[in-house]
Amino acid sequence: MHDIFRTRSSRTISRTVWLVLLICITFSFGGALAAQQADPAGIATGDKTNAVDAGGNAFVVAEPTDKADPDYAAKKKAFDEYQAQAAKEPLAVKLADSVGHVRIATNFGWTLNTGYLVLFMQAGFALLTCGLVRKKNAAHLMMLNFAAYVFAFLAYYVCGYAFQFGAVAINAAPAGLGGTPTLNHFLIGSGQWGFLGGKGFFLSGPGYDAGSNVLTLFEVVFMETAGYIIVGSICERINFWGFLLCEVFVGALLYPIFGCWVWGGGWMSQLGATMNLGHGYVDFAGSSVVHAVGGFCAMALAIVLGPRLGKYGPDGKPRAFPAHNIVFVVTGTFILLFGWMGFNPGSTLAATDLRIGVIAINTNLAAVAGAATSIVLWYFMFGKPDISMGCNGMLAGLVAITAPCAFVGPNAAVIIGIIAGAIVCFGVLFNERVLKVDDPCGAVSVHGYCGWFGAVALGIFADGTYGAGWNGIGPASYLGKAGQGVTGLLHGDTSQFLTQLGGATLCAIYAFAFTFVVFKVVNAVRPLRVSKEAEIEGLDLPEFGMLAYPESGDEVSAAV
Amino acid sequence: MKLIKSIIRPNKVDDVKEALDNLGVSGLTVTEVRGHGKQKGHTAIYRGKEYSVSLLPKMQIEVVVSDAIADDVVRTVVQSARTGEIGDGRVFVLPIDNTYRIRTGEKDPL
Repeated sequence: MHDIFRTRSSRTISRTVWLVLLICITFSFGGALAAQQADPAGIATGDKTNAVDAGGNAFVVAEPTDKADPDYAAKKKAFDEYQAQAAKEPLAVKLADSVGHVRIATNFGWTLNTGYLVLFMQAGFALLTCGLVRKKNAAHLMMLNFAAYVFAFLAYYVCGYAFQFGAVAINAAPAGLGGTPTLNHFLIGSGQWGFLGGKGFFLSGPGYDAGSNVLTLFEVVFMETAGYIIVGSICERINFWGFLLCEVFVGALLYPIFGCWVWGGGWMSQLGATMNLGHGYVDFAGSSVVHAVGGFCAMALAIVLGPRLGKYGPDGKPRAFPAHNIVFVVTGTFILLFGWMGFNPGSTLAATDLRIGVIAINTNLAAVAGAATSIVLWYFMFGKPDISMGCNGMLAGLVAITAPCAFVGPNAAVIIGIIAGAIVCFGVLFNERVLKVDDPCGAVSVHGYCGWFGAVALGIFADGTYGAGWNGIGPASYLGKAGQGVTGLLHGDTSQFLTQLGGATLCAIYAFAFTFVVFKVVNAVRPLRVSKEAEIEGLDLPEFGMLAYPESGDEVSAAV
Repeated sequence: MKLIKSIIRPNKVDDVKEALDNLGVSGLTVTEVRGHGKQKGHTAIYRGKEYSVSLLPKMQIEVVVSDAIADDVVRTVVQSARTGEIGDGRVFVLPIDNTYRIRTGEKDPL
């Protein structure tokens, strides 16, 4: 019925795809000729230069090259002393090689395993969103959730990763993973004004590297999270080919571009160095980069699609479409909470960064504070607590703590969770009653509004105990204090707050506007929505020819 | 012979079944059904929006018995399915002409 391969427009699309592939291959082989060699076997990754003590001081003292540096004499002296010691104790140097290698290996293990936890969040999203919709669309929801992982993953492999992290070594090298030195070229921009990464297409050449591939695994599941968020807003009415286009758009363009700006060493992360704005725009694990991007993309798509049939009565009042399986909803939410233990602590990309303990507890505290707030608030407003809103509240707390989790203390985490739990309740009511955006699972409110808030909360509550030298700002001292890290409004850094406020707002506008423009055009060329008949019947049979619950009496089968 | 069709609360099925067993009723058919009586269901709330649940889940028990014990069966069902609250259900008694056992083709094998 919607066979994409039979239409003329799809032939044009496939020609374009091949052209893009060809260009990408050219780039990736160009990258392979670069001076830095990739290390696919991981044998050369991790040596004495990676042996670092708890304070981040390296075992190896590098030879200073800049003679104009006022500290040149001191650095040269330290280097000479190190050389003399190393010559006297060759065994220590050999040992340091092992220590450095083990350090990197520990971090590989940590990053991969936390990545697997994040991967498991996809199961949580599938259960949550499927449970929240009507039974007649359950198989459709499961197909969307499944296909999202598959197609967005391929898009990220083709160009998403290269766009996002193709230049990460320039400004934001992940030291815990060996620095991925081969990813060192901006496709658009250069130096501290990078806009798009340009190495690692198809994970070949510079992208075919053990350290880089650990990063790829960890980051692709983050992208998938943004890809899953949109399912919650567009379900019960989008057709399958339209959905695939949304996923490829998120995996190849929308997510990687903003991700490059913040995590790939792009221009937003460097605002501290270039514009003197705090530590630049900081988002530890992705309140904005992942969740607000997904949430506002979801909002734009929900507006393009319009509300589900019958969602609003003739009087304009919203009607209830009750969740068909609360068991799925709660199970899915707990799987998401469990996965988030990889999402936030894993974002250190290093088990040797012992802040992971604080991050883990902050993440949980915000989750329970958010859930408690939304349950109690709903109890007061409507006379009965609503479990689906309780689940939304837990996710709201998690989304909001994702950016600040490493930079705040437990008390701030609770406050952030409480505020997020309230935002999600009012956000759901605001979307439904005022904006009249039909968002079946509350994705816009949970991920969009609370994602925005999370990034701003970092600028308010960050207490300066972590993140010294973040984005290259103040490695020795900041705000006149040695070892001072990322600091928020309440602890004396107004510029960080303003950066966060501006950056998070830019993120919301970027994700909403980019998606809205692209899919408004797509929708005009070919509607993204299923037929009225299919929507009334339920999407399971018209779109996929099968029911989620074939033996429940919805359809009597004569085929036995 | 009579077909006695009882629409009862789902949680009363076991009580009714046990009482019918004691009476010596040998076969019965139980079906999940939905419906409403005079009260037309109740109101539920989902994410702050009220909606009416007009068709409530009930269980229907059908037994076919001889005329001689029909009244006893009705009395037993009424007694064992009753809570005294609204929504206890209904019992219908219908005359039937014949029954056949499929395995043997035997007529009226009660």
